[in-house]
Amino acid sequence: MNCRRITRRLSSWQDGELDAARSREVERHLRDCPACRGRWAGLRELQQQLLLEPPPADDPFLAARVMARLRPRPLRGGRLLRAAAWAAVFAAVSVGGFLLQAALAGNGAPAPAASYSSVLLEPQEFGLLAVHDDFLDLFNGGGREAR
Amino acid sequence: MSMDDAARSDDDIVVSVLEGRTRDYEVLIRRYSRRITLFVARMIGDNDEARSIAQDVFLKIYENLPYYRRENNFSAFIFKVARNMALNYIKRRRRTVLFSRLLGRDLDRAPFRQDPPRLLELERGEREGELNRQLRRLSEEQRLALVLKVYLEFSYRQIREVTGWSVPKIETLISRAKSRLKKNLRLQENGGKAVNPAREQ
Ligand SMILES: [Zn+2]
Repeated sequence: MNCRRITRRLSSWQDGELDAARSREVERHLRDCPACRGRWAGLRELQQQLLLEPPPADDPFLAARVMARLRPRPLRGGRLLRAAAWAAVFAAVSVGGFLLQAALAGNGAPAPAASYSSVLLEPQEFGLLAVHDDFLDLFNGGGREAR
Repeated sequence: MSMDDAARSDDDIVVSVLEGRTRDYEVLIRRYSRRITLFVARMIGDNDEARSIAQDVFLKIYENLPYYRRENNFSAFIFKVARNMALNYIKRRRRTVLFSRLLGRDLDRAPFRQDPPRLLELERGEREGELNRQLRRLSEEQRLALVLKVYLEFSYRQIREVTGWSVPKIETLISRAKSRLKKNLRLQENGGKAVNPAREQ
């Protein structure tokens, strides 16, 4: 039996991740091999040391602090309402832009393209898109500030 | 927390919160806060800072609850968020240290107000064990895998759900992390004492 192979498996064995057959192989080898027994003793000692490190003290007010800072979520249908509000803002700005352009350029003004883009370029002002961006950041490991 | 709350699944509670019963979110916080704080503490090597990051984790989770796809794996979801926030904190801390070095400050001697992490490290010197310092010297991947295994008692499969890594990769990371720690903590190796490790900085 190969000590190198066993050494590679000792950690998984310790973590309870080896199947029964491989576990038996390790156990049998350890009985006969003082060198691997030494390695195994080292792993056990390490585990004990790691668990000796004191955990953070319990924080009994954590839940209360978080709860105090939550913004209540709108009741069911809230997302629909927000979408409607978003559409209304969008329409208002578009129409506003159109009227403004029409007023400035007199008759025959082109479509209000500038107004659309000015809305789309600043998504952070609108809750829906902002939350979504944050979320993507999160899973890209993005660096946006946490709070 | 009532008995009823303890019996409810994470996903049931998420649905309830999303339906507007915000108070129910507290059940999830109480269910996970100790583990999330411990996880962050071991990842960043700082018990005190871990509490405030844990708080941010729960705020972030709440904000993004509508995007959680319910598949009975809220635990993986919340640990993913905690992992990202811990790694972001480490990145910020490293940037601050680099920035301070660029300014030519001698951090080991002169206190430098804009560098709280490094100062904390100095203050901690006494009370913080050698172990935390050694944990922080592992690669981020090794530390993540080891912390989930040793302190959260995750199986390799559960670690895969949080990290997206294959089980063989997780196996290797954990095994190497242990070897490295064993060596650096001068624990028994081959039946004897390992030689005094060279300090790597
Ligand atoms: Zn052997």
